[in-house]
Amino acid sequence: MKGLVSLFIGLFGTFAFSWLGLTVIPNWQIGALNPQTDEEGADAYPTPKSGMADRGRRIYAANGCIYCHSQQIRPDYDSSDIDRVRDAGPSPGPKWAERRSAPRDYIFDRPVVLGQERMGPDVANIGKAAPTEEEKPAAAPPANASANSPAPAQSPPANASAPKPGTSGSPAAPANSPAPPVAAANPSRAASASPNPSGLPLAYSEAWHHRHLYSPRSMSPDNRDSTMPAYKFLYEKHPISGERSADALQLEGRDAPPPGWEVVPTYEAKCLVAYLMSLDQSHPLKEVKTAPGGAAPPAGSPPAAPAGSPAPAPPKK
Amino acid sequence: MTPAADIPLKEPTVSAAAGDADQLERARIDASTRVPVLMFYASAMVWLLIGTLLAGFVSFKLHSPDWFSDVSFLTWGRLRPVHMNVMVYGWASMVAMGTAIWLMARLCRTTLRHPLIIVTGIWFWNIGVVIGVIGILMGYSTGYDWLEFPPYAAVVLFVAYALIISWAVLMFRFRRGDQIYITQWYLLAAFLWFPWLYAAAQAMLFVVPVQGVMQAAVGWWYANNLLFLWLGAIALGTAYYMIPKVIGRPVYSYHLATIGFWTYALFSSWTGMQRLVDGPFPAWMITASIAATILTIIPVATVGLNHHMTMQGYFPVMRYSPTLRFTVFGAMSYTVFSVVGILISLRSTARYLHFTEASIAYSHMGLYAFFTMIMFGSMYYIVPRLVGREWRYATLIKLHFWASVYGVGLMSLMLLVGGLTQGADQNDTSMTFIESVASVLPYVRGRTVAALLLTVSHFIFAFHFGLMLFGLGRTSTVPTFLNPVEAEGSEEHL
Repeated sequence: MKGLVSLFIGLFGTFAFSWLGLTVIPNWQIGALNPQTDEEGADAYPTPKSGMADRGRRIYAANGCIYCHSQQIRPDYDSSDIDRVRDAGPSPGPKWAERRSAPRDYIFDRPVVLGQERMGPDVANIGKAAPTEEEKPAAAPPANASANSPAPAQSPPANASAPKPGTSGSPAAPANSPAPPVAAANPSRAASASPNPSGLPLAYSEAWHHRHLYSPRSMSPDNRDSTMPAYKFLYEKHPISGERSADALQLEGRDAPPPGWEVVPTYEAKCLVAYLMSLDQSHPLKEVKTAPGGAAPPAGSPPAAPAGSPAPAPPKK
Repeated sequence: MTPAADIPLKEPTVSAAAGDADQLERARIDASTRVPVLMFYASAMVWLLIGTLLAGFVSFKLHSPDWFSDVSFLTWGRLRPVHMNVMVYGWASMVAMGTAIWLMARLCRTTLRHPLIIVTGIWFWNIGVVIGVIGILMGYSTGYDWLEFPPYAAVVLFVAYALIISWAVLMFRFRRGDQIYITQWYLLAAFLWFPWLYAAAQAMLFVVPVQGVMQAAVGWWYANNLLFLWLGAIALGTAYYMIPKVIGRPVYSYHLATIGFWTYALFSSWTGMQRLVDGPFPAWMITASIAATILTIIPVATVGLNHHMTMQGYFPVMRYSPTLRFTVFGAMSYTVFSVVGILISLRSTARYLHFTEASIAYSHMGLYAFFTMIMFGSMYYIVPRLVGREWRYATLIKLHFWASVYGVGLMSLMLLVGGLTQGADQNDTSMTFIESVASVLPYVRGRTVAALLLTVSHFIFAFHFGLMLFGLGRTSTVPTFLNPVEAEGSEEHL
């Protein structure tokens, strides 16, 4: 009987050791982090996501995006994550990251979706890769680049700001594929030439994500090996009643809806894209080193961890 | 005369004429476990077939993504967690509980009291898995690995578990004889660890959720310990029973067994964080897990040595006994699985293998080559004792064995080599990302071939098991040997 008591103590002891060591103590160390602010208490990072983006994360988790896409950047001494650039967009594409990920980047995430595999690229900074407002007109010679990027109806401001001469007789015009569907559907824009040869929305813009989710292998010739499933069930195909919907997708070829029909994102798809657009870890953190030449950290933010130390020790409470 | 000729291949089948009190008692104990254990096995077989079909589906869709992709509940990202959870909670946990309860009754030399309560628990467990699967398919997956079932399914599973295991623990309370065999340690440990593990993970993820990245740490801590402390512990305990039993010889060293048990409990429970290598965590967590992974060489070496020395001179028995063949393959795979685990957890290799298909190879080596093969072996031993018939076709057993071995071998090879290629390409920034995907595609297609082999293997076994269940096995006093002529020839010498 004595052996039995020590057996039970041993069973509880070994398990408790592992439980305390790997969950309770780390939770005590990094389980109650606060956002970082500058000296004046402003410029807080990270901040909670909007309602739509927050719901988008649930859709991201529920549809298994996590099994192929990671959301964690490894440090530069142990991987080439930081040196990697994205495939899409004008070369060189946007970088994967400027710095490694740290526990503080995730303090508002629930569920946290770090991911475990990369059959698809890391998306920790996919929102940062989106074209900025300044980039949109400057991205390509025909300046109305945004005409068929985000949602067409939201683009008139951008359109208006674009210099008119770029629209017609632009050097890129001959390379255009047949006019994108928007041109046919909306005669008023028939003249607007597509900014890039394939008639794609600007890389990593909202419209690009929608089209990518709807038809991943249509994005560019070199994306044919993509193994991403199409998420067509997040989109609705219905006849156009009156005006064409503002957020209808620009589709070509086999994906294009029949004339008089359009494909629009459901609310879930909008949440998912809002979530993707919100992913951005570019804000410098005091505890990790930002790559030189990256987004310049504010002066006087010394990296807390020496280059060789992988510990993103969070001193702040 | 070969050593195999000297030994009884199995204890003689029970017959009333024998009149041996010990055997009659054993038969009575077996009879008391008959309904619940067969129910566990039958449910597990159904889940195994469902999980296998899903595995083929998931594997195929990974390289042909447009196949049935327009239906929300058939999307790859929902089928994959369904496959994993069906295999872990439907197949693995149920077959493990069936075998564990049978072993517990045998080793405690006591009949199973109130089997109907366990039967109720089995129903609840099945309902819990069904609810969880429907939840994931409907899009309510929680997004934590191996815990994708919505929390309400977990509540049902927990109730079921309490109903089932409280009786197994009670059996231990009413055991006869003071000696506790090493298998009982493993089983008791698994019975106590699993509820703590499951409750701790559920509490820290859903009831009082921890912040940010700690959820991932809790998730991997859970997934890893589920493999080692729940399924792995039952598999090792089963191997400690089956190998000496079949060859009719005591375990080589109890001292080694003790060392192996405690180092297993201590070190394997600390592994898991190496799956988060270079992630946003304090480095000490990951380093501690890598160190623990390296230290698992101690239990692996002692357990492996113990089994090897027990088997010494008796390896030819594997030619005849299906149980021994499956169990020894599983026990050997435990060594291979652990050594591969150590190699891929080192930072220098993790740099190339992290985020690649290699981690899937590792999971399958643990859950299939090690755990599932030992469970198949135990079913080949236990089912005839419950239904009073012997397995009908030796050919089917052989087919089952070889299809499984080649299936899981091919899968591990494909995914490990594919993972290396994928990882090397991902670290080469002169290549675009999509090229790293393209380079792993041939290996993923090879994995689909492996999935086909495993599908064949499981359907053969399910058919054979079905025959046994419906009383269509052989009525014979001689167990089914894989090579019957030689085996019977050797028995003449006895």
